Amino acid sequence: MEQQFTFTGKQKTFFLALMALGAICLVLTYIGDTATPHHERFWTNFLHNSVFFTGISFIGLYWLAAHTIGYSGWHIGFKRIVEAMTLFLPIGLILLLVIVAGLYGGWHHLYHWAQEGITDPTHPNYDKIIAGKSGLLNKTTYTAVTVFVLLAWAAIAYFMRRASVAEDTEGGLKNYKKLKLWAAILLPVGAFSSAFCIWLWVMSIDSHWYSTMFAWYTSASWLVSAMCILTLVILYLRSQGYMGHLNKHHLHDLGKYIFAFSIFWTYVWFSQFMLIWYANVGEETIYFKNRMDHFPVLFYGNILINFVLPFFVLIRNSTKWKAGSLTFIAVVVLFGHWIDFFQMIKPSIWAGLKHHAEHAAHDAGHHGPEIADFMMGFHFPGLLEVGTFLGFLGLFLYFVFSRLAKASLVPVNDPYLYESLNHRA
Amino acid sequence: MSKEVLYGLYDDENDLFAAIEKAKAARLDIMDVYTPFPVHGLDDVMELSESRLHIAGFVYGALGTLTALGVMTWVFTRDWPIIFGGKPYFSFPAFVPITFELTVLFAAVGMVVTFYVVCGLGPFGSGATILDDRITDDKFCLAFDTTGMSQIDVEKYSAFFDGTGAEVNRKTI
Repeated sequence: MEQQFTFTGKQKTFFLALMALGAICLVLTYIGDTATPHHERFWTNFLHNSVFFTGISFIGLYWLAAHTIGYSGWHIGFKRIVEAMTLFLPIGLILLLVIVAGLYGGWHHLYHWAQEGITDPTHPNYDKIIAGKSGLLNKTTYTAVTVFVLLAWAAIAYFMRRASVAEDTEGGLKNYKKLKLWAAILLPVGAFSSAFCIWLWVMSIDSHWYSTMFAWYTSASWLVSAMCILTLVILYLRSQGYMGHLNKHHLHDLGKYIFAFSIFWTYVWFSQFMLIWYANVGEETIYFKNRMDHFPVLFYGNILINFVLPFFVLIRNSTKWKAGSLTFIAVVVLFGHWIDFFQMIKPSIWAGLKHHAEHAAHDAGHHGPEIADFMMGFHFPGLLEVGTFLGFLGLFLYFVFSRLAKASLVPVNDPYLYESLNHRA
Repeated sequence: MSKEVLYGLYDDENDLFAAIEKAKAARLDIMDVYTPFPVHGLDDVMELSESRLHIAGFVYGALGTLTALGVMTWVFTRDWPIIFGGKPYFSFPAFVPITFELTVLFAAVGMVVTFYVVCGLGPFGSGATILDDRITDDKFCLAFDTTGMSQIDVEKYSAFFDGTGAEVNRKTI
């Protein structure tokens, strides 16, 4: 039953080439962008992809813990792939530390609340609303939450992986019980801490705005993306002759996951939207007004690509397990949720720039760059954004595949392995 | 017309699966299988064609969507237009929750009724008798129709059950 994955030189070269492409795109975005005053296009791209892939890695860990606690058996046949995905978390920490360093170094102007003198009533930058929120929105909290939460997740991912691999050689139930313990710790800790993370990383870009649905909404987006990557990796490995022990019912269940959680994502997306639309309170509505008026392609396209398309493609029985339709929908929906995070970040930054430029135009002598009504990389992802995405994807997959090669693809001594091998939908 | 049925009762669905495979290999005609709950994979093994119930479900669901949207649009734009909270008469987001509910309701109720009609259950019952009451509790049943068979053939079918762990019975229904 033991199955060893070899990370071939060809695969390594391919992923390294993707990473090189991403690095080139990042550099080009940094030096080539003259339309924004503080390299906003570069920094938003960096933040966007870091948050997207770190979140996918975290939600993989959460998924694994939920299945471990729920006495699930069907996922055992491919749980090593999910484990490998969770081991990306330390890289996520490094990526987000760059954003943290930028806060202190003044490299980027992503967060309005991080401006100098924002809580000081005598300072021209003083903002009463942000001053009232400064207990949460400050550099120390941002740093502490990012570092401690990601360290905690990475540690739990490491311990769960260690117990799982030790089970291969030791057998018995000792390591299985350890897995249960770590999973039980992660579920509440991860659920609350991920909400804090996403508030600080993404929601606080709109410093005045907040939504209680935001953490749900982003988690659902991460979950669908993680399922898409997992499905694609499984299908790829099967095409390379691995994972022969999985049958069509495993794929069918993954298809159901993508289908069901695309609907769940729509449900939370709409819950957030409708409450704000109905109440029509100015300071809340501004978030959607900006997107609907200035970013209609992103705003409505988001729903089409992440709800309408997967709903009608996956509603059939057979499209949920056939490799062709699964590959198609997983690629499209993965990109769709990347777009979803794109439209959480970019319109807010653009609105801030626009606002700032209009004010500057009023004050004589101040002339920043003109902020156009359509900006590539803000209103629509340009080639540089797609290249950056592919770079981060290459980094993520390089990491996943290298970790995958370090242990048997099949957890041979897992008590639920037999159930997984005989899985029927 | 009454039927002579020879049937075996099993304690476990895995025994039932093994017996079905054995019967198929021996080229015996299976009349039907009865289980206390839906068993996954049984229709594959029995080589039944795919159920069309879900297609009916989609149609009922679509009907629910159209009903909800149609009625709300008519009421709020033609029949009795009222302004709620400064929103336009046709305010789509406000219609979505009700449309969703009616879609689910139509699909669910429609599928249950269709299922009952197709299976002859409840008020649409055909009056079919149950072979053994324990099938509705915890036994899995494999049944052969032996109406009009010669003694040799019946013995062939009885002999099949030997060694499959079945409790064998005969009944005229």
